[in-house]
Amino acid sequence: MILRSFRFVDVESPVEYFNSWLTPVPHFFVRNHMHEPSELDASGWRLSLGGEVEKPLTLSLAELSKMETHSIVNTLECAGNGRSLQRPQVPGIQWGKGAVGTARFSGPRLGDVLQRAGVKPTGKHVMFRGLDEVPGKVPPFIRSIPIEKALDADTLIATHMNGSPLTRHHGFPARALVPGWIGAASCKWLAEIKVLDAEFVGNFMSPGYRFPNQPAKPGDAVKPEDTHPLTALSVKSVISGPSDDATLKAGKVAVHGAAWAGEADIVKVEISADGGATWDIAKLGHDQAHYAWRLWSYDWKPAKAGDYTIQSRATDSQGRTQPATPVWNPSGYLYNAIDLVNIHVS
Amino acid sequence: MFRKMSANGKPLLKKVTAKSDMAVSAIALLALISVSPFWALNQKAAPANVTADLPAGPMQAKATTACLECHEARIILQQRLSRAAWTKEVDKMTKWGAVVDGADRDALIDYLSSNFSPDKPAYEPQRTTDKNGSGRTSK
Repeated sequence: MILRSFRFVDVESPVEYFNSWLTPVPHFFVRNHMHEPSELDASGWRLSLGGEVEKPLTLSLAELSKMETHSIVNTLECAGNGRSLQRPQVPGIQWGKGAVGTARFSGPRLGDVLQRAGVKPTGKHVMFRGLDEVPGKVPPFIRSIPIEKALDADTLIATHMNGSPLTRHHGFPARALVPGWIGAASCKWLAEIKVLDAEFVGNFMSPGYRFPNQPAKPGDAVKPEDTHPLTALSVKSVISGPSDDATLKAGKVAVHGAAWAGEADIVKVEISADGGATWDIAKLGHDQAHYAWRLWSYDWKPAKAGDYTIQSRATDSQGRTQPATPVWNPSGYLYNAIDLVNIHVS
Repeated sequence: MFRKMSANGKPLLKKVTAKSDMAVSAIALLALISVSPFWALNQKAAPANVTADLPAGPMQAKATTACLECHEARIILQQRLSRAAWTKEVDKMTKWGAVVDGADRDALIDYLSSNFSPDKPAYEPQRTTDKNGSGRTSK
């Protein structure tokens, strides 16, 4: 794993790990904004639900576990994944390409819990508060999602990841799982859910995690009123092999990787070995689920020895295609430019 | 491990809110190290892996005190920002509780923007090399 920060914990998967549809938990990226909770006691843990509801309630882990469980295979990606590739550089964790992973998340539907409390007609947004421990005067990590997404049958209060209870790094004992959306929507160490009549106001809703309404010129400032909150992920592919700067023997070269598109489906992944002049279709892997990445592969036969740039470009069911150049924004969110590796064929 | 963290935390204990936060941080960190496969770093092979230091310079000590109370040095070491961007970061972090004497603000911005400017080579992050996450390290 690639260590971006030890305190707070920010760890990235090397892209060469992206060869299994489900990412093993020890290989799954970790993004923390704050200190992890110093004490996590499953028996003492409580989830409170209040705000614009008829019957505020508090649930223990045992009560939550008795509710009907659902599973969603979801590709979770940090909004800042790829930030280090933005030019000019922008502040923040300098993720490479690996702040993303795919896991089967399980737990009760958030909608079922909300229904139990009875959402009032005034309830328009759902706020999550985790147990992260806030240093200094840093604003707490609190965000909200619109009620429609909260009530979506695929939005969960996840207690399990790949069949095992969540680990501490991934939000034990329960986290929100907002499929297809930026990782920051899926609040870890969930302790409080509050139904609000408007979007939550706080640092991590604004100015944090917002995207310019209009394309910004690289390096330009963008006014907060000209931005909107980030929600679903972009269309994206990464090459997991061969590695950048690899030297390979002439013959058949297996090019492979993963592609995802948030709430949309991957329609195709194309590969170019001639600077984008021509593109060939890669084979999509068998495993698929609505919010999950597709693995892909392409057998490339270089005609002769030399230096090559291999590019991958994904297109999704909404007609979105990875751009040739990154869409720059002041916080470096949603980097999704066409991926590439440079290799030498001997 | 604990001694290393304590040593690095020493100047931080002088800070306004540092004692309880640092105690909590140390506990959280120890808990995290003990439960996390990729944090079980091989101390003999790579004794400097758990923490990193800010570069030498006239503001090293003050930057360490102001910044590393809340987060570790790697978060700074990996940035490559213009002076204008560093100014915004320093002012934001001061608002968020970093204790920076008004007389030191410009010198701190100078220190950060000269050491971590866009023209510096990219920061090479540490890696764990064991694919099972048991945490042997390289670099």
